[in-house]
Amino acid sequence: MQEPTITILGLGNILMSDEGVGVHVVNEFQKRYAVPEYVEIVDGGSAGLDLIPFIEGREKVLMVDAVNFDREPGFIDTLENEEIPIRLTQKASMHHLGLMDVLCIVRMSGNVPHELCIIGIQPKSLELGLDMTPEIWDKKEALIERVVQKLREWNIPCALQSPQE
Amino acid sequence: MRSVENALQLEIPLNAQYIRNLIMAAHGVHDHIVHFYHLAALDWVDIVSALKADPKKASQLAESLSNWDQNSVKHFKAVQDRLKAFVDSGQLGIYANGYWGHPAMKLPPEVNLIAAAHYLQALHFQRRINMVVSILGSKTPNIQNLAVGGVANAINADNQSALNMERLYYIKTLIDEVGSFVKNAMLVDVAAVAAMYADWTKIGAGVTNYLSAPDMPMDTKGTTFALPGGYIENADLGSFKPIKSFNDDFFKNGVKESIKHSWYKGDWNKHPWDEATDPNHTGMKYDAKYSWVKAPTFNGKPAQVGPLANVLCMFAAGHAGTKKYVTDMLNTISAVANAKVGPAALHSTIGRIGARAIRCAVLYDECTNQWNHLVENIGKGDVKTFNAPKFPSGEIKGVGFHEAPRGLLSHWSVIDGGKMKNYQCVVPSTWNAAPRNGSDQPGPYEASLVGTPLANPEKPLEVLRTVHSFDPCLACAIHMVDAKGNDIIKVKAL
Repeated sequence: MQEPTITILGLGNILMSDEGVGVHVVNEFQKRYAVPEYVEIVDGGSAGLDLIPFIEGREKVLMVDAVNFDREPGFIDTLENEEIPIRLTQKASMHHLGLMDVLCIVRMSGNVPHELCIIGIQPKSLELGLDMTPEIWDKKEALIERVVQKLREWNIPCALQSPQE
Repeated sequence: MRSVENALQLEIPLNAQYIRNLIMAAHGVHDHIVHFYHLAALDWVDIVSALKADPKKASQLAESLSNWDQNSVKHFKAVQDRLKAFVDSGQLGIYANGYWGHPAMKLPPEVNLIAAAHYLQALHFQRRINMVVSILGSKTPNIQNLAVGGVANAINADNQSALNMERLYYIKTLIDEVGSFVKNAMLVDVAAVAAMYADWTKIGAGVTNYLSAPDMPMDTKGTTFALPGGYIENADLGSFKPIKSFNDDFFKNGVKESIKHSWYKGDWNKHPWDEATDPNHTGMKYDAKYSWVKAPTFNGKPAQVGPLANVLCMFAAGHAGTKKYVTDMLNTISAVANAKVGPAALHSTIGRIGARAIRCAVLYDECTNQWNHLVENIGKGDVKTFNAPKFPSGEIKGVGFHEAPRGLLSHWSVIDGGKMKNYQCVVPSTWNAAPRNGSDQPGPYEASLVGTPLANPEKPLEVLRTVHSFDPCLACAIHMVDAKGNDIIKVKAL
């Protein structure tokens, strides 16, 4: 098997309603689209340092996550490379170690991907619950479309699969 | 699971005990490495200062303290170059964040560079030892192989799809890779930090009643343990009283929880089997209820749990490995500090960090020991890993305890006719983060922060140092990216 060079990473905690949007969107994308062997699709959940092997040394990493843009719920934007805040945050607990920290550690280790992209959406609710709010789940198609667009921009083929029997 | 097994008085096959023990030991090593390097170290180590270090001097210093093989001038220079590129890229706002450049940061640039280099190396080793957990437990975190009555690992030396000799030897390779880092990098780094922050051996003691579970059961009934545990009162190691078995009444009858200051309905002080958990948030009132955490007590008193409690209990019980690593660490601290530092220094913020490194080395040795026991037992032809539970009609009660990376964990179950009637968890952070108890005595966090000096009340780094030293387990839940990179937590000095 070919070593993956591209990662598509769904991030978030699916137990906290809209926080899990990244995981849901990436799972949905994976159901519908076929991608080449060198693309690895990962449910990153809320793993901290365990995400490093899926980022470090990869050429390109595309992430989908809930992002606080200080905008209305459902607002979608893309953060790329220098626009992504990369830093070590103040933590009370090891369990607060999040994406910004992970990217910072990858950078300090010297193996940063050439392209980093986060497709983000402003969440509405972060309450306990398996279901996302309808406002955010309604944006699912728009988010999947952004993933497809980004892959095309990176010249990575992705095609709709015929529905599985 | 142990609480259900205890209620059923179920015996656990030896292989299952060894596999569980190996997972616990490897998980603990992983957790302690990550806690020190990737959470606690940055409270003491100023990475920006490492840019000013002389790599040659850093290498000389590191090599004078240990024979870790990744302390060369070339290696330190490479790390420094990467850090420089990282800081120079400018987008990171690295100077503005954390507490780097804080007046309470005291390490010389060379020590900061050594620690920064090991911080990056630690990423590799924590991952390797965690692979032991994922191989035996199917995934990590939240392993999938545990079952009431044993483990769901089939053992067959020659079968590709079972725990076979190839997997067992791969596990051994992973364990062997990590030992030198734990003993020659981590133990030494922690001792050096402790020596250079010697004033912190007098800060942050807090509650000095220590409670710790014996763990790594070595027989099917859980009556002998590789690592001892028990209770020490008022910092007096001579007062150590062991917890002897999973059925020991000394532990079973000693635990109670109060909700006088916690957001639950009522005001009571009960044994976990008799408790309820009915949330009732009534706002922040420091003289009444002010926490979601209940206040556990042992024989009516608050107790500190965690690696320090565990190391002190194992030391008092005469555990040979613990005695060796405690002595080695105190000797290294004394040599670097150029002053005699004795065991009393352990009752402190720095002591908790030192004890975690000592426990990491003890658990590391236990990885090897448990692997040997497992392979030897399989060699005798025993491949059993599971005893099926049978639930009686009527009510039974059980308690299961475990010495987790953050300290004593106990689960309490009441089972009626095979159905769970009550289930209470008294977890390590509950002991340590407890609000005041039924008699208004403060828990370990609260007590340890009293009298902490602050160089800059706007940036209370010193508070974080002490809270982090307990390795809190809080909010596993939300890791949202903030588009402006703001911190998600705020520390307020009141």
